[in-house]
This record gives sequence, C-alpha cells and structure tokens, in this order.
Amino acid sequence: MAMIELRCVSKTVSSAGQPLTILQPTDLLVEPGEFLSVVGSSGSGKSTLLGLIAGLDTPSSGEIFIDGVEITGFDEDRLARLRGDKIGFVFQFFHLIPSLSAFENILVPLEIAGGAGAREKAEELLEDVGLTARGHHYPSQLSGGEQQRVAIARALANDPPILLADEPTGNLDSSTGHQVIDLLVDINRAKRMTIVMVTHDAELTNRSDRVLSMRDGKTEFAMPLERSTQS
Amino acid sequence: MLFVAKMVYRELKSSWKRLAFFFICVAVGVAAIVALRSLIQNVRLALGEEARTLMAGDVSLSTDQPWSDGVRDVIDARLANIDSLQRTETVDITTMVRLPDETSARTKVVELRGLRPEFPFYGEFALAGGETYTFDLLTGGGALVGPELLTQMGLEVGDEILIGSGKFTIRGVILAEPGRQLGAFSFGPRVVVEHGAVETAGLLTVGSRARRQILLRVESADEVEPLVEQFRDDLQDEFVRVASYRGRENRIERNLERTENYLSLIGFVIVILGGIGVWSVTRVFVQQRLRSVAILKCLGATNGRILAIYMTQVGLLGLGGSLLGVGLAQAAMGAVPESFSEQAASAAGLSGISMDLTGSAVLQGLLVGLLISLLFAVVPLLDVRHAKPLLLLRHGRAEASLAIDWVRLITIGFVGGALVVVAIWQADSFKVGLWVVGGFAVVTIVLHLIGRGLVRLVAPLQLSGWFPLRHAVLNLSRPGNQTRVILLSVGLGSFFIIGVHAMQANLLSTFDLELRDDTPDMFLIDIQEDQVDGVRTILKDSVGESPALIPVLRARITGLEGEQHSFENARGARQARLGREYTVTYRAKLEENERIIAGRFWDETPALEPEVSIESDLYEEQGIQLGDSLRFDVLGREITARVTSIREVQWDDSRSGGFMFLFRPGSFGEAPHSYIALMHGPNGVDERARLQRDVAARYPNVSIIDGLPVIDTLRRVLEYVTLAISVVGGIALFSGGLILVGSVAMTKFQRAYEAAIFKTLGANTRVLATMLVLEYGVLGALAGTVGSLGALILTWALAAQVFDITWMPSGFVNVMGIGLTAVVVAIVGLISSLGVLQRRPMFALRAE
Repeated sequence: MAMIELRCVSKTVSSAGQPLTILQPTDLLVEPGEFLSVVGSSGSGKSTLLGLIAGLDTPSSGEIFIDGVEITGFDEDRLARLRGDKIGFVFQFFHLIPSLSAFENILVPLEIAGGAGAREKAEELLEDVGLTARGHHYPSQLSGGEQQRVAIARALANDPPILLADEPTGNLDSSTGHQVIDLLVDINRAKRMTIVMVTHDAELTNRSDRVLSMRDGKTEFAMPLERSTQS
Repeated sequence: MLFVAKMVYRELKSSWKRLAFFFICVAVGVAAIVALRSLIQNVRLALGEEARTLMAGDVSLSTDQPWSDGVRDVIDARLANIDSLQRTETVDITTMVRLPDETSARTKVVELRGLRPEFPFYGEFALAGGETYTFDLLTGGGALVGPELLTQMGLEVGDEILIGSGKFTIRGVILAEPGRQLGAFSFGPRVVVEHGAVETAGLLTVGSRARRQILLRVESADEVEPLVEQFRDDLQDEFVRVASYRGRENRIERNLERTENYLSLIGFVIVILGGIGVWSVTRVFVQQRLRSVAILKCLGATNGRILAIYMTQVGLLGLGGSLLGVGLAQAAMGAVPESFSEQAASAAGLSGISMDLTGSAVLQGLLVGLLISLLFAVVPLLDVRHAKPLLLLRHGRAEASLAIDWVRLITIGFVGGALVVVAIWQADSFKVGLWVVGGFAVVTIVLHLIGRGLVRLVAPLQLSGWFPLRHAVLNLSRPGNQTRVILLSVGLGSFFIIGVHAMQANLLSTFDLELRDDTPDMFLIDIQEDQVDGVRTILKDSVGESPALIPVLRARITGLEGEQHSFENARGARQARLGREYTVTYRAKLEENERIIAGRFWDETPALEPEVSIESDLYEEQGIQLGDSLRFDVLGREITARVTSIREVQWDDSRSGGFMFLFRPGSFGEAPHSYIALMHGPNGVDERARLQRDVAARYPNVSIIDGLPVIDTLRRVLEYVTLAISVVGGIALFSGGLILVGSVAMTKFQRAYEAAIFKTLGANTRVLATMLVLEYGVLGALAGTVGSLGALILTWALAAQVFDITWMPSGFVNVMGIGLTAVVVAIVGLISSLGVLQRRPMFALRAE
C-alpha cells in the first residue's frame, strides 16, 4: 500500500474573477520509505501539491489517501489530528513559534499528541540535531541553520511516517543547506520515513529516490536516479 | 488539558507584559465598582445598626399645621389603650439667629428644633468636648448649636443669641444628633432649644412654616407596624404624615441600594471601556499570532484546543486585572483621610463608617472584570479559526472565506446579551440595565460614525506636499490601524469631560442671566398682616423703594370634581400626586412671566364665587381641566374653587415669582394669610446684613433669606457634581490613554520596521518624530472633535429636555477640549513611540 496516493487531484482558484487551474489533474503514488523531490519554477504548483498532501488545502477534484485513509472529506480538526499523527513538516522559513524556546517548540507536538515521556523525547531529539546546549534559546536567538534543525526535530517528534519539506534549504547558505539535507537523508534511511521535499536546487535532487518535475500545474517524473550515485 | 495549561503558561510567560497593559483598563473599572459598592454597603451596614437613632423613636406623626384638637383627640384615643408607651413632641422651624449687641449686623438663618425632656428615645447627642447631654442644658433659655454657627458668627459657648423675641445662652456644641434626617437639605446650622421656648419666642405665628412632630416609643417592635397602619386609617383625611423607623429605614435602604447600583454602573461603564481595550488588544494579538496558530494547526492542534489556550490566557489576565483593581480599591479606600470619613459619618447621622472593602463588593468586582474580559476577547479570538496552516507555505494570507460566519454572528449576539445581563445585574433593574447597554451602544455607534466621517474629512491631506503630514494622515488608515478604537475610547473620555464642563458653563451662564440687576436675591417670608406697613418702611429705608408684598396662604387640596379625575379626601389627593401643601396667592393681574394658554383670566372685580388659575404642569401632569372644581383646605377653612384658566409660568424668570395656584381676589374672604416679599437686596455685604438684622430685630417671626449664599451653595454643588463627573470622564480618558499607549506598543514592531525603512531611505529622527506628533495630534484632534460634537448633542438634549433652559453652546469649552485632547494624545503617542525612533535601522530590519 502506498504511503501517499493522489487520484486525479486538481486545484482551481479564482483569479480576478476568472478560474485559474494551478494544479492539473494529477495521479501520484509515493511508497513507504521513499524520498521524493519535487522541482519546478516559482508558480509551477509545487507548494500547492505539498499543501494538498498535508491536508492544508482542499482539492477542487480527486481523492487523496494518506497511509490508506482517504482524507478528502475530513474537516479542519480531523485534518489537524491526522497531521499530528502522520505528518511532520519542515518549512523554508522554519516557522518556529517565536514566543517558545527551542526545547518548547519541540515539546509542543508531543504535548498535543498527549503521550508520556514528552520531555525525555524532546531532549533526545534536541540531542539528535546537535542543539542540546541551545534548548533554552528563543528562535530569534538562533541562526538560520539552527532554527531549521529545531524545525526538523519538531517534525520528527511524534515519529510520523511522512515528512514534508518545503524548500528546507531555501533560506540557508550552501554549507548549512547541505548539512540539513544530510540530516534528512539520514532520517530517511534510518527511520524508513517517507519524505516529500520541494526544492529549487537541482543538486539536492540527486539525494532523492525520484524527482517529480512540475510546470504550469502539470507533473512529470524525471528519471529516477540511482541511489549509488547519491553517496 | 495538560497541553492547554502548558501552552497558557508559556504564552503568558512570553507575552504577559504586552497584554497585561490592557488589563489595567479592566483594573480601573473594577476598582471603581469595588470601592463604590464597599463604601455604600458600609454605610448601609452602619445604618442597619443605628436605624432607630435616625428617627429617635419608633413611630412619628408629623404635620405642617398646628395640632388641631380633633387630631389630638384621635391620637390620644388610639394611644389610650397602649401600655408602657412613651411620648414626646418636637417642633422644627427655619428662622434667624442674631446677636444681642444692637450694633452688630450679624444674622444667620438656622434650623431650630424645640425638644421636650423625653427626647430622644433612641440614640444619643454627641457634644463637643465630650460633654454629656441632659435636658437641663436647654431649660431656662439654654441652646445647643451646630459648630458652624460658632465659626460663622464668631461665637463661643456661653455667649448669648437672640432667636425671635427670645434670648438664649449657648451651652454646648452639637456634633451628632439623633432624629436628624439623612442627607436632608439644610438652610443653616442646627440650633436646639426647649420646646416651649419656640412658641414663647413668637415663632409659631399664623402660616409659619413650622413642622410639628409627635414621637412615640412602644414596648415591642411588633407593635410598630400595626400602630402605623391604625394611625394611617384614623388620620387619612388629616394632613398628618405617619412613619415608622422601619419605614424610614426601608426608604433610606432603598435609596442607598439604588445609589449603590447606579454608582456601580459608573464603574461598569469604565469596565466596558476597559473591555474595548481588551477587544482591541486581542484583535491585534490574534493578528500577530496567526502564524503561530497556523504552526500549531500544522502540528495537530485543533481549533477547540487553540481557542482554549487563548481564552484561558485572557481569563487569567482578566482575573489578574480584576485582582489589581481590588488592590487599587483597597488603596483608594485606605487613602481617604479619617477626618473626611468622620465628617461624612456625622453628616449622615452615623457614629462611623468603615473604610474596609466588603466581601460581596470584591466578589462582584472580580466577576464583572473577568466576565467583561472574556466577553470582549471572545469575538476577536474566534479569528484563530480562520488561521490557515496553508499560509505557512504561501508566505502570505490565505484566501478569506466569503461565507457568512454564523458562529461569529451567534457569538456577537451572545456577547451582546451577556453584557445586557451583566448590566441588569449591576443596576439591579432590567430597565436600567437595558438603557445603559442600549445608551452605550448608541453613543458608541454615534461616536464611531462621527469618527469615520472625520477620518474621511481629513483624507485629502494625504495629498499634502509636506512629507510628515502626508504620512501621518496615511497612517490613520493603514492596515491594522487602531484609529477607530482610539477615536472611540479617547473620544468617549473627552465626551464625558467636555460634555459636563459645557453643561456647567451653560447652567452657570443661566444663573448669571437670572442674577440681573432686577433679579430678586432676598426673600422675606411669614410677614403677618399687622407687620406689613412696618416691614415696608424698613425695606424702603434700606433699598429706596418698597417691593411688592405678596399675600400668601398655605393650602392643601382635599377634593377634586373633574372631567378626568375626581377624589373626595386627602388620601385621594395623595394618590393623585396633589397631596403636598401649596403656597397660593390671589391677584387681579397676570405677572410678566405668566401667560394664559387656556380659558380666560378674570378682570379686576372681586369674585362672586372662588375662581382659580392653575399652572400648565397641573394640567399636563395631573390632568386637572378647565371647569374642574377643586376643594382646598386653607388653614382649616374649606374653599371650593372652579378652574377658569390655565397659565404658563416662565420659571427661569424669577422676578415675579411663580405660583401653581392663583386665585381671584375675594376668593378667600377673611381667611388669615401672611405675606412674602421678593426683592433685590442692597449691594453691600454690610447693608444686606444690616437689613436682615433690622427686620429680625423688629419682627422676630419674619425670616429673611439671603439668596446669594444659596446661589453660592448651588454653584458649589454644581462644581462638586462637575468634579465628580469629570473624575469619571478623567478615568474614561485615562482608559483611552492606556488603550492608546497599548496600541502603540502592539504595533511597535511594524512601526519599527517602517521607521527603519524610512531611515534607510534618508528620513532623519526629526522627520519621523514630526510624523508621529502629527499622526497622534490629528488623531487626538479628531477624538476631541468626536467628544465635542457628542457633548454638543448631550448639552442640547439636557438643556432642552431636562433643565428646561436656553441652550448656549460653549465655544470656549469645546475648543479647549479639542485642543487639550490633541495635545495629550500627541504627547502620549510620541512618548510611547520613543523606542521606535531610537532603534537603529539595521536592528529592526534584521528582526523582521
């Protein structure tokens, strides 16, 4: 069973009173443990696709399945719970909660889920991303790379089977960007986590299993690259 | 729940400083409620303990006429069957005190009370110097006086004074006295003498305004109410008031309760202003938190949990603000000087008033503060439902839904209803609660509309060539601006203050108008028929001409045979609200301030049968018609007169006085009557005093009342009222200022960012400061104009509808109001923005 499945999903919005299709009808299957990169120019529909997979937006037509469950008819609160259980998110602009410390930002999804041992888990995650010493700092006191590592730790907090990353290196310098990608690849391998990553950077796509190219709302697969070339 | 609690803790930890500011607004209102309620509750508590002292007996029978034999017989018969009864009599009259030294012109109007040995049955006199009261102090020409008489006339204990034709020695100074009515209006200091001395001093002449009282003490409290009921039955056709201490206590209790509730409404209005502040901050806060909310939703938090986080946060801050309010109330009560509370207690006839907060007032304040915080926060908080996690991907705003938000509409309806319920609870009256919330809503809408209109009016300034002015005006309509909220809150505050000062100016100028050279400012009453010529001579010697002496009789209505209403006895008159005693006169001509609006006024020939002309209020309010027959009791004599005309009296033109009932000459036959005189007294203080003295020395029963001190007293009362309302307006304006400072703080980051860009583009601090001063100055001027226009509407309505005086818009007060509001708002705005001006541009740009 595919981890993510889109059946003829499209998205049309209204622009200056006229309908504008920003995602053409699309079918997509992403297998468990797969690392999929989505590339395309600005306005090609990458973020729309990611938003639909995450249940952040509703499709104009088609059906979306996450881990075998159709989410198309879910209301806001069910979608929120689904994200809490199954999807981790990493954004280009990190989107940490500015009023909470790094440690508290990681703690939040654990507390929403309500499981035991939240603090221990958050400390562990902070250590995994190498920021134990910075846990009490607020986002504004961290560098971009550090903020993104906190965001990744937060995305992994509830061990979701899916990690969605929206240009995770887009706001970082090249060297920090590579560190972040290394971290994502390690996670993908170690945890067999399904990753869908939107990126501008063609070089980063080399690290993924498949590359989905987008243009004017249409999708097409580029040649899957050999894993051997990635290392 | 654990998640919600932890998030509340974290959010409060990071943002309480910014938010707490607004809850100070709630604190101010809660403090007002708690302090005012506590004070009145303490007075009520003290009253409950001293209820009988207020009357000094159990049952009081009182009348403005001499006790007739018939009435005495009825009372004696009723009391004959009651064992262990105690009985005493008192007499009260307003009269003059003068000094035995013939050369001294000093006189003073006093409230004289004559007592018998049995008085008081309850309570005790408190005399200066810890003296103990005994009746011996009064026997043989003794008098006890209020302390103000000593200071005003330069007297000491042991000195002699003249009252009427009697000479009295001051034997003590009264600090507190049983049987003095709470809050009763007083013409002058209290003087207490022996009962019989009032008559022997020649003060109880025909038509004199003496109030006689029979005071009873019964064995058991259970006998009081039945006895009162029996007396009311026995004396229903007589002009005798029957009251019990409990009835008086209940009336005072009701009045105090009403006062407590009305005063609390003032606090409630201030809390509502605080609520507007809470609404404003919550709105901005939610806008700033939308991204965090979207992140929480991305991490799996539901709308319910997010709303719970913010509602709990608001609740805790509301509670914190309310607790702060209780602290402020405690501090305010503690700051009242002991001498002031003692004076107030003594004025109220109480031995002391506690200045502690009462539990129920504290509880009410806390609840109101908490409720208002939650109610005003819930609607803006609902916006968190619309925070779409998608905006995290799109780096902008998610599309706003065009569908009608029913949840929001229903919540607004619920909040409106809940506010009405809280107001009804606070006022303890459905009608008043509804009026207050409705009135507030109307004022808010009117001020809001005026504000919007004014913002549009200044919009053309956006095209100004002067950079700071252009941007200052643009800032008024920037996205996320606080213009409306500030206009409303500051406008409301200035509305209160400008309104009350404009009204004061209007009332004072009306007084001044009435104090023209020909306006009477001295009044002589109780002049007997055989004293008319002598009084005329004295007056002529003093002011060069003798004023007209107006014959007056004191009459009560005992029957009406009319087109709309009829009744047969005094009880019927009381029910028709015609039960009071009227001072009536007769003459053949209309005065300058009168005109006939219906019927025909008589000619100069004496009446064949009694005829009466009524004032138009009696026609409009009591429904007495032309042709109705009115039966009067004039000092025991019955006169039935037909209403032949209806007059309108211009009351604000007091030169000719005014009477509700005017009779055709000849209507009274030989009925005894006295005279009054309205005159413009001599100009000098000494001459006025001498005239008073001359009249009082020769005709001791005649009271000559100087109107100037009375008008001064009225002025002072008006100043106190103005001060009191100004304090409320000041608190409202203060709340407005808090909202202003807070909203500047809330938008600081945006402003810092913009200021940084302006600086990067070459604007220096001076240009930016000018921009801010102009922005807040324009905002303040607009708020002042909003308040001023509102005040004009208010003063017009009050002048025309309530005070019935000519409306005179006070240009000075309004212009000053607008100018001062503009200056205050500009200064507050600039000071709160200093941080923005001083910040280095790079720092602000990096932070963004």
